Amino acid sequence: MNREMFDLAFQTLEMAKTAGADQCRVAINRDRSVEISYRDHQVETIKEAGTRGLFLEVFVNNRYSSQYTSDLRPAELKGFVVQAIATTRLLEEDPFRTLPDPRYYEGRAPVDLKRSDPAFSSLSTEQMHEIARDVGEAAQAKAGPRMISVTSSCAKSWSENVRLSSNGFEGGEENTCFSSGASISLQDEGDRRPCGDHFAEVSTRAELPPAEAIGAEAAQRSLDLLGAKKVKTETLPVIVENRSVPRLLGGLVAAMSGASLQQKQSFLMGKKGQAIASERFTLVDDPFIPGGFGSRLFDGDGFPARRRMMVDAGVLRDYYISWYYSRKLGCEPTSGGASNLVIAPGSRSVAEIMKSLGRGVLVREFIGGNSNSTTGDMSVGIVGTLFANGVPTQPIAEMNIAANHLQLWSRVAEVANDPWLYSSRRTPSVVFRDVVVSGI
Amino acid sequence: MSLMTRRSFMKTAAAGAAALTVLPRGLRAAGAAPELMTGYFEREFGIDDTLCRQVLARALGKGGDYADLYFEHALNNRLVLEDGKVNRAYGEVLLGVGIRTVKGDQIGYGFSQDLTAAAMLAAAEVASTIASGRGAAAPLGGWAAPKMSDRYPLTRLYGKVPLEEKRRLVQTVNDACFARSPLVTKVNGSIYDEQKRILVVTSDGTKAEDLQPLTYLGVSVTAERNGKRERASWNLGGRRDFAYYTPEVLDELVRTAVDRAVILFEARQPPAGEMPVVLGPGITGILLHEAIGHGMEADFNRKKVSTYCTMLGRKVAEPEVTIIDDATEPNLAGSLNIDDEGTPGQRTVLVDRGILTSYMHDNISARHYGVAPTGNGRRESYQHYVLPRMRNTYMLPGPATPEEVIRSVPRGLYIEDVSNGQVSIGQGDFAFYVSQGRLIEGGRLTAPVKDVNIMGNGPKMLASITMVSNDLAMYQGGAGQCGKGGQGVTVGFGLPTVLVKSMTVGGSKA
Repeated sequence: MNREMFDLAFQTLEMAKTAGADQCRVAINRDRSVEISYRDHQVETIKEAGTRGLFLEVFVNNRYSSQYTSDLRPAELKGFVVQAIATTRLLEEDPFRTLPDPRYYEGRAPVDLKRSDPAFSSLSTEQMHEIARDVGEAAQAKAGPRMISVTSSCAKSWSENVRLSSNGFEGGEENTCFSSGASISLQDEGDRRPCGDHFAEVSTRAELPPAEAIGAEAAQRSLDLLGAKKVKTETLPVIVENRSVPRLLGGLVAAMSGASLQQKQSFLMGKKGQAIASERFTLVDDPFIPGGFGSRLFDGDGFPARRRMMVDAGVLRDYYISWYYSRKLGCEPTSGGASNLVIAPGSRSVAEIMKSLGRGVLVREFIGGNSNSTTGDMSVGIVGTLFANGVPTQPIAEMNIAANHLQLWSRVAEVANDPWLYSSRRTPSVVFRDVVVSGI
Repeated sequence: MSLMTRRSFMKTAAAGAAALTVLPRGLRAAGAAPELMTGYFEREFGIDDTLCRQVLARALGKGGDYADLYFEHALNNRLVLEDGKVNRAYGEVLLGVGIRTVKGDQIGYGFSQDLTAAAMLAAAEVASTIASGRGAAAPLGGWAAPKMSDRYPLTRLYGKVPLEEKRRLVQTVNDACFARSPLVTKVNGSIYDEQKRILVVTSDGTKAEDLQPLTYLGVSVTAERNGKRERASWNLGGRRDFAYYTPEVLDELVRTAVDRAVILFEARQPPAGEMPVVLGPGITGILLHEAIGHGMEADFNRKKVSTYCTMLGRKVAEPEVTIIDDATEPNLAGSLNIDDEGTPGQRTVLVDRGILTSYMHDNISARHYGVAPTGNGRRESYQHYVLPRMRNTYMLPGPATPEEVIRSVPRGLYIEDVSNGQVSIGQGDFAFYVSQGRLIEGGRLTAPVKDVNIMGNGPKMLASITMVSNDLAMYQGGAGQCGKGGQGVTVGFGLPTVLVKSMTVGGSKA
């Protein structure tokens, strides 16, 4: 843990207690990032900077507020702390608002999460230029004569944070991230200029795929959009591609939060222990995936991270309950939010599944739409392709799927073997049967 | 920069975070008269012409064509009500400078949270590397402020509004929601205010300063009937003085949120498929923003990736259709005295009686097209470089009446409230979510509908607007956020009742 940041956090806690806080929690963050982008063989943007900031949460007579500042010099911090407490005193009392009972801090796993790569400093700006350029060139080579424009990029970031509470919590994290990708615009019929993209994002530089592979995939995804049109409304099996599954899953997970349960805004109220999905659907919250963007040793309350079975073969096993909402709901806390979400993968590839399904729709992207966590109703635009006997037959656009989450997840027919690796949502492609795909 | 000026910031910052302001000297007077708006960054942080000249020279040190500095000091506060009590407060102090060097269409960008000369010079050095030659070292002369109007005057700075006054507003809304319907079971309320001061200094002679306020009062209502639950939200605000929150405004907020939650018990999903769609007035302007507006932002056209990039001067709509993007309307969420490049706020006609007449420009695209900037250069904060962005986007009223428009539809969908729009710039395909609407049957509004997505194609939809009525209404909320390139900016929009001949309505029935 960074000593200087730890000391500053400690001094801020002391200041807050002196100024009248019953309890307080401080988090200090620092980060540094470099981003380089190219468009059509030429540098388009170079951006580089660092930030730092301090979050202070104060609890005064069961009153609560959270304040942020980017001015970390001790003399300035003191005035900030005093005012934060003065504000908090003017709020209304909330008896549920306290720091967690410190016994809940115990039991942190001794695991190396591999979230920080020393290669951050050794990856030079010149090398990043080279990666961004190479990705763009690979994309152009694959995209061919229909290409109008290619934008490619390489970025890296590093962040560090320290968190302390007045009742004994101490924690720190250091994370790195490396990313690269491209988006390609192509000339289609008439005025249509479809643009597809592909981005890879990893914690460890060595895991970043070769520039050629990233560029070629971005180009292929754009080529796949050519000739897309709206087709007639039909009930079909639908495969949602791995990278797009989080968009659907988000609507389900939002309804698992303590806040939405306590505020009666969850369609999963009272459903713990019941089947809410097909038995082919299992969802695990796993904070210990090496290099996972959601990997952590402790959560926002300071509770030690644990692997949690959220949905076990279709049965809802757990909710996300923070300390505050556990007190409001009168139950034990779990964790206030997701770490890495993993849908248990199946054994077949998307290509194999497409072959065995006969006709269906492969969804590559979602557009617009919404999900209502109170009722579970969702509706979202889709972009993808029709397929028959394993072969794509017609790219589609301007189409939609609408369903209730409980109905949709109960129709999971199969999960593919291709978890998406560039996100805290490790989702394989998911097959839903009997989905109304609406168009003409 | 002297220690004294930095110290006085500490007080402002801390006070702002706490919504209990000890204002810097010179701002104690009520109101923000123009003379009090200028010189803020020099007075508080010692940002003088000599320092700006030095930093700009460094930014141009490797041969950039143009450079600018964007100083920002923002104080943001939010009070939140849950379970009947205003029992949490969130505050934020943002301070920094963004430094941009432009070479042709290329951008170098660095920023600093530290306003010392050394930190700013380091950020300028990063920005300068977009060019790789020798410093042009064009001598930087004096600066002139652009001509500005004040489109959002304040009688009190937000920091002067007592927390108790804000708390009462949220509490009043909560109590009135419960009083309006016995079906209401939960109310979540909040009040947000953001007081942003900016200073833009450019290498070609502009020095412009503004105080950009934004506030809104929002409420989300959950109702329950026979074991079923429904929820609706609404907010009212803009770049407004706190005096805006009159009992009438609070009443409108409560009525809208509660009535929209309660009617959902009667609502159903319409049949899926293609049908005529009538867009009601006001918030449906989101559709104009998504389906048409983004494609007319000049960066997408300069890069030839927008579906509109070959349509300038061409007929894109019927002659009834005129579309405006406008910074000059007072008090709306997208109103601006100046944009984030120091260009005065203005009114830009995008589509004039059916003909596409202008894109929305920042300085880079204006130079590319050889036209004057339109004042659309905006950014989320000093941590981001400018992009062409919308302000308040709306369609001028036409000759029809709303009744005539509805009467013309034998079977279709009437849309009252929408959210979550999205567009693919290159194809113009868009989707947006209808949270409130009605079926149209036999030329009359019938059953309420909810939770349905509408899909279409921007240019096709624009061309198929065949009736425009006389009831233009602007969205009066302050929470309209538009995202692009990872940056959020607040925008406004509006629409009169219009008929779109055909759109795709999503549904769960085949």
